[in-house]
Parts: sequence; C-alpha cells; structure tokens
Amino acid sequence: MVSVALRSVSKVWDETVALKALDLDVHEGEFLVLLGPSGCGKSTTMRIIAGLESATSGQVLLDGQDVTNQPPRDRNVAMVFQNYALYPHMTVEENIGYPLRIAGVRKPDRAAHIRKAAERVDLLDLLRRRPKQLSGGQRQRVALARALVRDPSVFLLDEPLSNLDAKLRVAMRAEIKHLQRQLGVTTIYVTHDQIEAMTLADRVVVMNKGEMQQIGTPDDIYDDAENLFVAGFIGSPPMNFIEGAVEAGTFASDGVRVQGAPGHDGSVTLGFRAEDARLADGTGMIAGHVFDVEPTGDATLIVVQIGSNRATFRADKRTRPTIGDPIAFDVPPGEVRYFDTATGQRIRA
Amino acid sequence: MDSTRGRWSGFIIWTGLTIVTLLPIYWMVLVSLRRRVDLFGNPSLIPDRIFWGNYAEVLADDRFQRFMINSLIVATSNAVLVCTLGLLGAYAMSRFKLTGKNNIFFWTLTNRMAPPAAFLIAYFLLFTVVFRVGDVTMLDTRIGLILVYCVFNLPFALWLLQGIIDGIPKELDEAAMVDGASLWQVLWTVILPLAKPGLAVTAILTWVFAWNEYLLAATLTRTEARTITTFLAEFVTVTGTNWGAMAAAATMTLLPAVIFLALVQRHIVAGLTFGAVKE
Ligand SMILES: Nc1ncnc2c1ncn2[C@@H]1O[C@H](COP(=O)(O)OP(=O)(O)O)[C@@H](O)[C@H]1O
Ligand SMILES: [Mg+2]
Repeated sequence: MVSVALRSVSKVWDETVALKALDLDVHEGEFLVLLGPSGCGKSTTMRIIAGLESATSGQVLLDGQDVTNQPPRDRNVAMVFQNYALYPHMTVEENIGYPLRIAGVRKPDRAAHIRKAAERVDLLDLLRRRPKQLSGGQRQRVALARALVRDPSVFLLDEPLSNLDAKLRVAMRAEIKHLQRQLGVTTIYVTHDQIEAMTLADRVVVMNKGEMQQIGTPDDIYDDAENLFVAGFIGSPPMNFIEGAVEAGTFASDGVRVQGAPGHDGSVTLGFRAEDARLADGTGMIAGHVFDVEPTGDATLIVVQIGSNRATFRADKRTRPTIGDPIAFDVPPGEVRYFDTATGQRIRA
Repeated sequence: MDSTRGRWSGFIIWTGLTIVTLLPIYWMVLVSLRRRVDLFGNPSLIPDRIFWGNYAEVLADDRFQRFMINSLIVATSNAVLVCTLGLLGAYAMSRFKLTGKNNIFFWTLTNRMAPPAAFLIAYFLLFTVVFRVGDVTMLDTRIGLILVYCVFNLPFALWLLQGIIDGIPKELDEAAMVDGASLWQVLWTVILPLAKPGLAVTAILTWVFAWNEYLLAATLTRTEARTITTFLAEFVTVTGTNWGAMAAAATMTLLPAVIFLALVQRHIVAGLTFGAVKE
C-alpha cells in the first residue's frame, strides 16, 4: 500500500528551480532515504510532504488522500529537524507531550504516552530537564520522542544526525533503524551521507539538481547505477571512470583495452569499482603507473595514473607498490559498467 | 589586593550613583512631610517633625482618586494594547512576506520622530471635530488617550519585539505546526513565552510613558479623563505653589509605578532561547 505519493511535484523560487516534476511512491512501513548533494532539493521535498512549503505544481497524497492544500496540522506527519527545534522554555516532558497537548489530550492521559515514548529512546531519567541542559545526542532523542509520541502516519527526518559527532552518529543510526523496524512507521529520511543512506534504507532515492536520478534498494544503487552521477556519488571511494571510445565492440583509452563493450560506437566512459579490480601479474586490462599509495588499515588503496585518467584500486593490506612503478589490473567483465559520455546514461548490453 | 580595591571602588561608585538617583526622591518625600512654614526655614536632610497634613489634604480631594484611577486605567490598557498589537505585528513582520516590510517599519518610526507637541493641534482637531459622531467626540475620554499613546508606543514595541522574534528560530514555529498547532497556538504556546522578556520591557516602558505623559493628557482631556500628572501641575497657581501637597501627591503617584516595575521586572530573563537549536 502506498503511504506517501508525490505526483509530478515541482517547486520554483524566484530564480531557482528546486524540484522538477518529482514522482515518488513511498510504501507503507518503508524506510526511504532521500540522498543527494547539498542543495539538490531534499529538504524541499520533505517540507512539501510536511506541508511547510507549498508545491508550485503537482499533488501530494498521504494514505491516498490529496493533502496538497492542507496545512501541516491536518497531515498527521511527524518531523525531526536537523537542529532538533526543541522548545527551549519547556522541559523534556513538556516537549515530548506538546503534540498531545495541542491535540487536546488531558494532562493525566498524556503522562503514560510521554513515558512510553521517553522509554523507547532511553530518556526516562531526564524528563524534568530543559533542552539547554542536555547534550546533542540527548536533544536528538527528545526530538525523536516528540515525533513518535502520537503515532504519526509518516515520520520525516531531515539530516537528523548531521550535528552529532562521528561516533554518536553511528550509534544513533543503529537506534533509529531499530526504532523504525519496531514501530513499522513509514519513514522518509534525508541525508547527504551515502553511508547513512546505504545502511538505513529499504530504498534509496538519489537526487541531483532537483531531479530524481535513481530509486532502488541500496544494492541496486551501488551495483547497478543508472548514470554517471549515481555511480560517482555512491561508494567510498566512488566508482572509477575512464573516458575513452568504443569502436567495433572494443573500448579503448590510453593504457586500457576492453573487449565486449555494448552499444554503438562513440564516446564512452568506462566505470568499475576499486574493490572489483585484481592486481595482474604481467600485462592487464588496465595498465598505468602508481601515483599514490593510501593504506587504510584493512586494505591498501592504490591510485593509478592511466593516461589522462586516474583510478583507485583496492588491494590487499600487505601490498605496498613503489610510487612511479608500472602496474596493471584486471576487472572481471561482469563488474565493468559503460556510460554514454555525452548523456551520462548507462549503456546496457 | 587589587581585587579588594576594585570591589571597594565599585562599592563607592555605586553608592554615589544611588545617592544621586535617590536624593531628589528623598527630598520630595521630605517636603511632603513638612508644614508650609517649615519649608522655607533652614533646609535639613533629617525630618524634625513628621506632618501628615499634606497627605490628608490630597487624599481628601476626590479628584485625586478619580485621576489616579484614570491614570491606572489608561497606562495599563495602553501597555496591554501595545504589547498585544506589538506582538502580533512584530510576528507578521518577522515571519511573513509582506510587501514593503521595511517601509512599514520606517513609516511607524516616523511617528516618533517629531516632538508630540508638533501634533498637538492636529490631535486636538481630530478629537474635537473630525472624529465626531453627533455629540460624541474623543475629547476628554480615556479611550482617546489610550489610542493616542498607542501611536507613540507602538513603533518602539514593534521594533523591540521584531528583534526578539527574529531571534526565535523559525524551526520552532515549523516544529509546532507539524506537531499540530494552528497559527494562534504557535503564537500562544511558543512565541509568547519566548518573547516574554521583550514583552516585559515593552510593558514597563509603555506603561511608564503613559503614566508620566503630561502634554497630550493636559490638552486632550478636560474633567472626566484627566490623569494624575495633570493634577500635579495644578498645585502651581498664580497665587503661589502648594509645595507640601504637591510633594505628597507626587510621592503617591510614584508608588504605583514602583509596584508595577517590581511585578514585571522579574520576567526580564535573558537568554531563554538558548538550546532551542544547536548553533
Ligand atoms: N526559502 C527559499 N527561498 C529560495 N530558495 C530556496 C529556499 N529554500 C531552498 N531554496 C533553494 O532550493 C534548492 C534546494 O534546497 P534544499 O531543498 O534545501 O536542498 P537540500 O536539502 O537538498 O540541501 C537550493 O538551491 C536552495 O538554495
Ligand atoms: Mg537540507
């Protein structure tokens, strides 16, 4: 069942086009992540779903109902803001209970709900405190508890972890995922961090410049990128690209020759991931010179200059080639991707 | 050593300033407790005999009570009205896209640029001729005075409160709206409590303005709506000034202002918005 649907939603500010005819179906109970670089329209999408921003054109449907012109309070969505947006004059308890108070729930009836929500995010000991007496992680929990206290039909989180330090971020990530599985609430989560997206999502929407680039499971997005943008955005290090040309089924570039390229002749960009390449003994599919060696602890990343292109390869942690030496790699044919250099679109066999 | 000396010099400076501030008030109280004949003898800072006659004289005048009540009503209504309109207006100016927003602000501010006396004749004509329905005019009415004071106090209130509301993160409004609040509920449950320090300052300054105002009150009221400041001026007559009674009336006029200040002052707590959003 579809919980949230966007029907060619666009948003234009005076000068900028923030969203271009976005179509999106979010399934009931799904954890959907909007991923993209800063300024690509993620927050705008989320704010249009919440009703904080009106769409320039298009429709927003929640549980099948057209809510395009409804104010936020009639949408039963809950939102967690990047900077928490806790009410500073209220205690933790009052913050969590605020949606219930506004809904007209009497004080004694609120208490049980507040305790349940606080318990879920481990805040029971802090109910009497005010936001300024809390750490960043605790504030984040209050914001979560406030969002889940009233059984919203959709949970919206806009970069909720980006203000936390790296360690806390990883811990909270796991908690959010666990919480979402437990509650089974449809969740839309905005981030520019691809690791967050990959670890949390049932499905990821990759966005760029107000347009959806691809939607799919984290595996789809990682293994089967639709275009150069997605391939280059996902993965750390991102996919390697080598610009060249295809002639009669053979891809050729300085130091690179690959047989069996699909599609017509023309300018083509070849892509492969660092971890799919194998060090070749003599001559390989890809040959060049060692440009840099980056040990990461569990592996060694070897940056190789191949003609005018540069690519990163992942090798065993004990491999430490000398900078400047010639080096060659093979990539299994099944792991090589081809993209039309002009349009950026994937060329499939 | 240095810190002790610093503390002492601070103590001396503050004591000096306090004396400079309080001495005229003390002098006024002193005068109010003396007989007319004692006033012009040797001036002394210590009251020799306490004489309540001046207070009795003032309190016996039924106009004093009436004018006192007028002043209380006018000053308090003015403060409430200015705070209410100021908060709503400042919220709109802070949060909504308004055409010519900056001009609105400048325009309201110009109301305070000329001295009130410059508008005196205009107000008088408005109050007697222009806003006339049958025999009813705004001259000598409390509501008339309240509205005139609003004209002078609102620009300041708008300016101060807009600064305060601009400092309240917009995300708080948005969080409240997503949490189910209507615009009025946002104002009442989020903006109002957070703007309280600004409202307290606004209330104090507008109340004191209305309480002290003389020129407009003297011109635009006659008998019914007169305020206490105009009463004080009546002690100065062509045949001489009744200093003792005047000081007694002035002392009693000061009291409500002190009480009002004491009540409102504790709401001026700065830095309340800290912790709303992470900076
Ligand atoms: N209130 C606004 N007025 C004008 N332009 C805006 C406004 N909000 C966002 N934008 C523009 O819309 C685009 C998308 O913004 P946003 O959705 O916040 O991006 P993201 O959340 O993906 O970083 C950006 O180019 C941004 O500058
Ligand atoms: Mg954003």
